[in-house]
Amino acid sequence: MSPKLLYALFLVLLCHASCTDGQKKKETLLSEKVTQMMEWASKRAVIRMNGEKFRRLVRAPPRNYSVVIMFTALQPQRQCGVCRQADEEFQILANSWRYSSAFTNRVFFASVDFDEGSDVFQMLNMNSAPTFIHFPSKGKPKRADTYELQVRGFAAEQLARWVADRTDVHIRVIRPPNYAGPLMLGFLLAVIGGLAYLRRNNLEFLYNKNVWAFSALCFVLIMTSGQMWNHIRGPPYAHKNPNTGQVSYIHGSSQAQFVAETHIVLLFNAAVTLGMVLLHEAATSDMDIGKRKIMCIAGIGLVVLFFSWLLSIFRAKYHGYPYSWLDR
Amino acid sequence: MEWGEEVSVPGPPLPMPQQQPELRFNYRSTHYLTSNGFYEFLNWFDERAWYPLGRIVGGTVYPGLMVTAGLIHYVLNMLHMTVHIRDVCVFLAPVFSGLTAISTFLLTRELWNQGAGLLAACFIAIVPGYISRSVAGSFDNEGIAIFALQFTYYLWVKSIKTGSVFWTIACCLAYFYMVSAWGGYVFIINLIPLHVFVLLLMQRFSRRVYIAYSTFYIVGLVLSMQVPFVGFQPIRTSEHMAAAGVFALLQAYAFLQYLRDRLTRQERQALFYLGVGSAGLVVFLTVIYLSCIGCIAPWSGRFYSLWDTGYAKIHIPIIASVSEHQPTTWVSFFFDLHILVCTFPAGLWFCIKNINDERVFVALYAISAVYFAGVMVRLMLTLTPVVCMLSAIAFSSVFERYLGDDMKRESPPADDSSDEDDKRNPGNLYDKAGKVRKHVSEQEKAEEGLGPNIKSIVTMLMLMLLMMFAVHCTWVTSNAYSSPSVVLASYNHDGSRNILDDFREAYYWLRQNTDEHARIMSWWDYGYQIAGMANRTTLVDNNTWNNSHIALVGKAMSSNESAAYEIMRSLDVDYVLIIFGGVIGYSGDDINKFLWMVRIAEGEHPKDIRESDYFTPQGEFRVDKAGSPTLLNCLMYKMSYYRFGEMQLDFRTPPGFDRTRNAEIGNKDIKFKHLEEAFTSEHWLVRIYKVKKLDNRERLDHKPRVTNTVPKQKYTAKKSAKRKRGYIRNKLVLKKGKRHSKK
Repeated sequence: MSPKLLYALFLVLLCHASCTDGQKKKETLLSEKVTQMMEWASKRAVIRMNGEKFRRLVRAPPRNYSVVIMFTALQPQRQCGVCRQADEEFQILANSWRYSSAFTNRVFFASVDFDEGSDVFQMLNMNSAPTFIHFPSKGKPKRADTYELQVRGFAAEQLARWVADRTDVHIRVIRPPNYAGPLMLGFLLAVIGGLAYLRRNNLEFLYNKNVWAFSALCFVLIMTSGQMWNHIRGPPYAHKNPNTGQVSYIHGSSQAQFVAETHIVLLFNAAVTLGMVLLHEAATSDMDIGKRKIMCIAGIGLVVLFFSWLLSIFRAKYHGYPYSWLDR
Repeated sequence: MEWGEEVSVPGPPLPMPQQQPELRFNYRSTHYLTSNGFYEFLNWFDERAWYPLGRIVGGTVYPGLMVTAGLIHYVLNMLHMTVHIRDVCVFLAPVFSGLTAISTFLLTRELWNQGAGLLAACFIAIVPGYISRSVAGSFDNEGIAIFALQFTYYLWVKSIKTGSVFWTIACCLAYFYMVSAWGGYVFIINLIPLHVFVLLLMQRFSRRVYIAYSTFYIVGLVLSMQVPFVGFQPIRTSEHMAAAGVFALLQAYAFLQYLRDRLTRQERQALFYLGVGSAGLVVFLTVIYLSCIGCIAPWSGRFYSLWDTGYAKIHIPIIASVSEHQPTTWVSFFFDLHILVCTFPAGLWFCIKNINDERVFVALYAISAVYFAGVMVRLMLTLTPVVCMLSAIAFSSVFERYLGDDMKRESPPADDSSDEDDKRNPGNLYDKAGKVRKHVSEQEKAEEGLGPNIKSIVTMLMLMLLMMFAVHCTWVTSNAYSSPSVVLASYNHDGSRNILDDFREAYYWLRQNTDEHARIMSWWDYGYQIAGMANRTTLVDNNTWNNSHIALVGKAMSSNESAAYEIMRSLDVDYVLIIFGGVIGYSGDDINKFLWMVRIAEGEHPKDIRESDYFTPQGEFRVDKAGSPTLLNCLMYKMSYYRFGEMQLDFRTPPGFDRTRNAEIGNKDIKFKHLEEAFTSEHWLVRIYKVKKLDNRERLDHKPRVTNTVPKQKYTAKKSAKRKRGYIRNKLVLKKGKRHSKK
């Protein structure tokens, strides 16, 4: 064992001695590359690369910086919606790093577009985009240097964690504040204020109970049909069976729901409510008899029919529920 | 009203059934209260939980429930009716559900009329959303809190209507009871100011509102601060600031009203808007300033997660992990409320159409409660009463028109009682909680219009709907809410029932076979049960006040054995208890909860635990051979599947087939170094492992290193071996003096 080790040491020494002048050249090359990268990074947080740049700055050996590269296809004809979202997150991450006080030349963010550097894609034997790969400052990327996009998603925070994990550079993600919400709110308030101002002589509409009652009802119906669940969980609109092509709007289990299903339920709930109101109106309003009779029949019909349909949907979802009415 | 109690109380007195593990804890603290007295209880430091930290129980629980039960017990014993405290605890919930029904009746009568009140009481007596808290044995804060909530609201409506200090003080006392019983009192202290604020906006300000709210705020504030757990929160946290702001605004408004009588019209207008605007601004800025300098605590995470619905998922995994804190699907709305969920918007419609002071209140109540119920399943409980009331209003206003035919001729009209009220106090200023008043002639005309046939059909169908509601409630109660979760039942193909009593078996084993001071590590779900039924010290329990401690336990569960052993040594763990459902197909076991353990551990120890390590490269969570090696070697996996690989449950499946996850386990050869199996219950549901002490002398897992490589001449028996030594075929021969070179 030991003679071999000694021999290896010897070889290294030998090599070192022979390469000292090469070393200097390398150092100048390295500093050149770093200044080049810094210059680009100061222009834009994510450096755009093509095949040539990639080979020279990332692939070629003298390097003391890590590069995180997003391989993507942003051209519109590629129709990659995910790429665009991932790109936004990546930009956020890169900008947070670029403008943070801890910014050094240890890590650079870059992207390679398929249409600009398809040879890079071929070289790395890659056939899906977006892909995030970290090229460490020493050695080749390992398995863990490829970001697990399927598992972790492409949120900037997750990416920052992964970067911190690979390079020990901790990036605090600072999202640019989203002005859309306040702007919309301001716009809405302005519209309302403007309307109120235009009709300042006649503010009667504020006292219109129908408007208030209707909006309260809308809110209640939205809530009871589980739209909040949709908002938090983000289920698909409906499920299409890939084998048969059949579209099912109702989720089979009671633990989950589709968006389409909640819309149906909202409609049914509203119909039952409408039926109840019609029944009441039919008995109290002072229209002529015929109309009131129709209202009454329509009311009870709405209540009974839609409730029984609701019950049968519930029965289909809640396995083992024994009751149904009118409709099996 | 009575029926609800009958449904919920089975005949003979029961042993404490377990709905939620909190009950165990509540019972334990009530027991402590009755045996040691109130002051001892307030100072109670529980060293049996949260080892090694311990927990100050007296100052960190809402004592209302325990004090109520203790008081009933005390009074009964004083009357020489000797009952055990356990029986009091078991029957507390049904008694209070009866009281809830009564207060719902009173509140609905104030809002609409007596008929609607009766219907509402019937609804709340049987509605599944509330029956879960009112079955016998459900010894839970919420059980009495809903009564306190409804009663406070009744008294509040009463005091708004009368403007009398008497009712307001009564309302404050009810509010005090609510504060001492449940953290949900924050709902009241925000809803009532909201009501007053909306009344101001609607220009419905009156002296009654002023008296009621001023008294309520001051007295309620002082009373609520008497509860040790609440303490100074009402003046220091953001949740309570809305009430203070509305109080200040109300004073300013009243003052301006007073000035109004003494000023000219021109001055008045200008002053009024200026005054109200500046008062609102001042209050708002003060609150912001105070919260900036840290005088007012910001919103606590639990409340914040109600507004920003994505907040909990990112920041507080422990809240997100509890199934009660999930958002609500429409199915669970329908399951808990049935017909009421589709009819109560109609009640809301009628209320807003015929608005008055107290109907503003019920509308706000409905809208806020329905929002909260949508965000969190657990808050369905606060929605249920208002849904019952509004549905009752909807049904009663329909029945009033369609059922009233016969009654009309014989008996006086249904709105009799309210007319009486009118006569009794003719000087009242408020507009009446009445119905649409019609002239008798007009109503007569309406009656003759629709005809008896249509009317009876409508009535019949409506009654059928209500009947289906009752049937649904009975079915839900018997199927979903009355089987205790500590005893599981399974049904065979022929319908016969198997009782799986593994939990009690295991806890009993712990109680009998372990040292009295043994410390047991388990996931927090089982903390209260272990403390209550096995009477042993636990590390974490269902009161999840210390996230880092829970994360430490999670880290131990998700590390490999030797890393976990270090953590367990540092926490002095003697036994580890896990729940494993793979044999019987029980889905609520620890492997299914495992990802939450990993997530919570990752939140505190991101260096050591990474969630992605527990997934396959495809992003799946699998326990079979394809599963990630980290998962297959972590402590929880090993403890769950120890010796499971030898077990063949069925002839159709291979040995080691997990029924819950429908997979053959990936690691069948599990050996422990620092643990040993101590107990496994009959159906393997509960497994307990003993943590071994450190060895006296550390064993090596490799062979001792041999330093002398030159083999000694071994002794060989000269006679037997015939001097024939063995040789190795194709033995490598070492050649000396020549150097191999790579080049």
